[in-house]
Amino acid sequence: MKIKSSGSKAPDVDMTPMIDIVFQLIAFFMVITNFEQQQADERVTLPKDQLAKPPVVKRENALTLNLGFEKDKEGEIIDPTPYIFFGDEKTTVEQSLTRLKQESQFYQTIGTDLADVTVEIRADAGVQSGLVQELIQKCQEEGVGFQRFALKATQKVQ
Amino acid sequence: MKVRTRNPDGDKIEMQMSSMIDVVFQLLIFFMLTLKIIEPEGDFDINMPLGTPAAASVTDADLPPFKVRMEADANGNLAMLYFNGNPMGNDGQEFQRLNREIFLAVDSLKAIGPSNVDKQEVEIEPDYRLHYRYIIAAISACSGKMEGGQMTRYISRIKFAPINDQR
Repeated sequence: MKIKSSGSKAPDVDMTPMIDIVFQLIAFFMVITNFEQQQADERVTLPKDQLAKPPVVKRENALTLNLGFEKDKEGEIIDPTPYIFFGDEKTTVEQSLTRLKQESQFYQTIGTDLADVTVEIRADAGVQSGLVQELIQKCQEEGVGFQRFALKATQKVQ
Repeated sequence: MKVRTRNPDGDKIEMQMSSMIDVVFQLLIFFMLTLKIIEPEGDFDINMPLGTPAAASVTDADLPPFKVRMEADANGNLAMLYFNGNPMGNDGQEFQRLNREIFLAVDSLKAIGPSNVDKQEVEIEPDYRLHYRYIIAAISACSGKMEGGQMTRYISRIKFAPINDQR
């Protein structure tokens, strides 16, 4: 039997194929990473629908409002009151007027016409529909003044 | 100017790969960790009249809106669906029936004049406690139909009725 003798010199490992693969992986992850949908909140489980298609032309000015429930790690609802989530902050629909006024003020300050801003509502499938209507009504109130609305749903693949 | 001379022995110059591989692995791990698998999201435009929705809205629609009424049971599930006052049931096929009714209504509108279809509105009137998923199902049934990967659009102007405040 031939036994490899261990020389003192370390054997040269060809790194080229590994680097190739690693670059491929990086390119793959870079392409599929979507930094645009950062406003989507995981606590909201959207209803599914097959007609829900992303808009053909991307909206320039969109205000996303996430309306959902506080959930634990298993996804169980721990508080039956729906909240509007703004990152770590949350507010009920009833108390959302101040925040909505701030958002509206922000768009006016940067010189955007409120008629060009679409309020995208991401509401949980289990939220009461009256609350969504209330939220739309609040967005239209004096001092807020949003005019365009869109309801989000997850695209169901047939 | 200093000109680099070739290695006099003609040997290949060894490149230090380890630092590059370190950085590349860091990048790989960063992208792997930041990856969030999100299902593609779409949306439905809602054509809400300006001003308070409770007030009678004046739009350019000459035709009365199609009315979709949704009643909820105590748990917020759909108890009954009506299209212009006609019950569509609640046996799991109600939204298909609504879709069919909308198709027939749009078809008869087209017979009068194709421009009428663009002006026609649908007014959705849900009970306050009805779960939001049924709203999306109703909007979808009014918006159109998916056939063979192609969407046939029925009505694009959809609005909500004033809030039905019976909690």
